[in-house]
Amino acid sequence: MKKVLSYFNKITIYIKDSFRRMVSAVKTDAMYRRFVYLFVGLNVILLLSELDIMNYSTVSLYAYIIIFTIVALGLNILLGFSGLMSLGTAGFVGFGAYGVVYFETLGFPYEISSLITIVIATFIGLAVGLFSLKVEGVYLAISTLAVGEIFSQIFKRVTWFTNAYGGVHYKYPTLLGFIELDRNMTYIFLSFVMVVMMVVMYHLTKSKTGRALLAMSRSNSSAQAMGVSISKYRLFSFVVAILYATIGGILYASFYRYVQPLDWNLMLTLLILAMVVVGGMKSIFGTFLGVFIIYGIPKLYLEDLFSSVSGVAYLFSGILIIVVVMFYPYGMIHVTHDIKKLYNKYKIHKQNKLKAGDGDE
Amino acid sequence: MSVFLQLLFRSLETGSVFALASLGIVLIYRTSKTTNFAQGSIGTLNAFVAATLLMKWGWSIWAVVPAAMVTAIITGFIIDTVFIRPANKVGNIGKQIITLGLIIVIIGIIPWLFGVEPIPLPQFIPYSPTTTITILGATIGYNSFFTIGMSLLLMGAVFLFIQFTDWGLAIRVTASNEITSRLMGVPTKSVTMISWATAATFGTLAAIIVAPQTQVDINMMGSIQVSAFFACVLGGFQTFYGPVIGAYIIAFSSNMAAYYLPPTWSVWSTVIVYVLILVFLFFKPVGIIGKKLVRKV
Repeated sequence: MKKVLSYFNKITIYIKDSFRRMVSAVKTDAMYRRFVYLFVGLNVILLLSELDIMNYSTVSLYAYIIIFTIVALGLNILLGFSGLMSLGTAGFVGFGAYGVVYFETLGFPYEISSLITIVIATFIGLAVGLFSLKVEGVYLAISTLAVGEIFSQIFKRVTWFTNAYGGVHYKYPTLLGFIELDRNMTYIFLSFVMVVMMVVMYHLTKSKTGRALLAMSRSNSSAQAMGVSISKYRLFSFVVAILYATIGGILYASFYRYVQPLDWNLMLTLLILAMVVVGGMKSIFGTFLGVFIIYGIPKLYLEDLFSSVSGVAYLFSGILIIVVVMFYPYGMIHVTHDIKKLYNKYKIHKQNKLKAGDGDE
Repeated sequence: MSVFLQLLFRSLETGSVFALASLGIVLIYRTSKTTNFAQGSIGTLNAFVAATLLMKWGWSIWAVVPAAMVTAIITGFIIDTVFIRPANKVGNIGKQIITLGLIIVIIGIIPWLFGVEPIPLPQFIPYSPTTTITILGATIGYNSFFTIGMSLLLMGAVFLFIQFTDWGLAIRVTASNEITSRLMGVPTKSVTMISWATAATFGTLAAIIVAPQTQVDINMMGSIQVSAFFACVLGGFQTFYGPVIGAYIIAFSSNMAAYYLPPTWSVWSTVIVYVLILVFLFFKPVGIIGKKLVRKV
């Protein structure tokens, strides 16, 4: 009993300590401040739509952006940090969405069914990670595509799990058994989870693990020579990527309350990949920006602009992707750097002009 | 026996479609160093050209297919010169994202040019009692013979081209090391252009062969593209003929599994084939005819 109490004490001290550290981090660390800004900004959109300044549907669009930011963050750890490629992401998102619905119909509460889904996904991730120890490069990418295709066959065929083509319906989640969320609360919950996942990734990349992954992405052999265990970190990054994808899927089911089998195909996987590359590998805010460019801009602006002719919105979003990748191969997030450079040039130009003007007089 | 023969011919037909698509993918992978996700979409685009010429302009199928080949070659040239070559600094994954962008562009172009409705495309030789032949109790249409023969001939011609001509040599050296071959005076730009055009032609032919089974619509090539990728990994990306072998193996085994397994299992035939491919790759990670990649540290 005493032991349990001391553990309990330790845990409370730990929580208090981490809370204090978090508060001080928000005060001092610029990254944390940006996370808070992002959270507030996303919720301002909710407020604007409640005040009828923005469309009602804009909120569900941003919910999609939030969900796929989480998924893309996972892929960013895998692709950006460890340099491995996965083409099975969509399958895992779908698995998360179906899993939480299925376990809730079995009578588990929201948290427990999410947890079960995540644990199962982790084991599948471990299996894929073990596979990745043997298979390299494009062979690995297409093998994960096979895993994704197996998932999509399961979604179409296993009626007790997914109700086949009918799809499954769900409800807004009930937290802790008594906090019943409505649409707006679910949106806030989503944005909160996203920020938490961003913080987790931020710490992960700053930790020893993150550095090991970074070393691995440059050169496997050199990293190994430096004492980085390739097998351990490959497994780890696959599990993390799949964890993020599954959490994204769970949130998808929670917000949209309907899951159907045809959404989780190669096209979605490629779009998630594009979100990572377009936004910027290894960058947390870049990932958010990438999701916004790939999904948000076409839905928010292009479809309204070109609603007269069918397909033209697609044409422009395709061209947008190609142009961004061509001109910013390291990610759109580096556009800030270019803007700064331009601004500095402009400033210097102005100063020179002033000096020249002085000379004239 | 008759059932087996029927299955064999059906597998050869689907296998030819997969083989054409995968040969295009591997050509581009070796010369442009990118996995071309748009292979299926390029084929679909040109199949739409063929179907529109046939249904709306009233051309005959024998005139339509060469016309579609010509537009396929033009598409290949345009894609290489406009999108792929300017992006040579982009890097491997970035190029793949560009091919994804191409898919989306093509999805946007098709309803704009050809309308939103799917268009039917008939077989080369329509299936009727007079155009079939019965071998050992199995009824096989002339069209199957024609498509299988045509794709085998075409692929054979390409292999001979790659093996025995100067341009084929240029393709092989570009595939093995682009920078060195450019330094040695190989016109690598033309080589990538030719391989994109060839790949587009093959994709189009695959789309035209498979179109009569359903209709020409945007998602027609989705599953074929995926199977072609699996054929590439099964056969190995290191040779040009490996994926072709892989394609026939995949078509054959999935057809056999779908027919000979008990009904509760046969709906899972594709999954079983995928799992078998994964198990195979686990033990032989570079495919059937792959050499182990040696990488410099």
